Amino acid sequence: MEEALGAIEQLGVVQALKTSFFAYPVVNALHILAIGALVTTVILMDLKLLGLFDEMPEPHFIRLLRRIALGAFVVASATGLALFSVRASEYAAMPLFWAKMGLIGLAALNFIAFITIRNGPRRVFALVSITLWPLALLAGRFLGFVL
Amino acid sequence: MRLRTLLLSIALATMAPALPALAHHGWTWAVDELSELTGTVKAVYVGNPHATLDLDVDGVVWHVELAPPGPTMATGFTEETVKPGDQVTAIGNRSKDPNETRMKAVRITAGGKNYDIYPARVPQD
Repeated sequence: MEEALGAIEQLGVVQALKTSFFAYPVVNALHILAIGALVTTVILMDLKLLGLFDEMPEPHFIRLLRRIALGAFVVASATGLALFSVRASEYAAMPLFWAKMGLIGLAALNFIAFITIRNGPRRVFALVSITLWPLALLAGRFLGFVL
Repeated sequence: MRLRTLLLSIALATMAPALPALAHHGWTWAVDELSELTGTVKAVYVGNPHATLDLDVDGVVWHVELAPPGPTMATGFTEETVKPGDQVTAIGNRSKDPNETRMKAVRITAGGKNYDIYPARVPQD
């Protein structure tokens, strides 16, 4: 584990990102942009399931927002991995980092359960989702201030 | 409709938690007075988001925070400037939490040379 994390930190592209003046803030900004899009669309979908915006047909509403959310999740994961790689061993040693990963993992499982279980408790999935995603965001924001 | 507006407001309010505490950017978490630490280097990192130096001070590890890599390297301080085992002195602001061994450095002295990470904050003598 230690060696693998050290090896990540030594990668050429990671070394470049480590001391870059432009690339790191740009990757950081993209991470924030993606998280903003992800959490916003997730919350809107959750509120829809909880009964808001019922003047809008659900299939269209969900189809559009889910596309944005999934795309944002991919961008957030890629940029997150890049930010992690710069100080991989330090982040991996932080309980807060794993708390954030755990929250994202639970939120992802909740999404998978929601789309797989037919006639499941939709409002429960929505409540779990609207709780976990903002908590993951909060954990991530604290992470940026403790390393 | 009014209930919905209320629900929506609550939802938005819960997702905007502006929590300024715990901040390790800037100096908000550190005391105003400057103090000095001398110890041996355990680890040095000069990179984003900011450079750090771990110092062993009488058996206690202090986490010394420098500036982002650009300003840090502009003083001449790089990852090659010091290596584990070197004797280093850091002047800076300690954490307000007395149990937290963390300092925001304004000057690093290593190998007889001063590296003024935040020159405006280094006391003029």
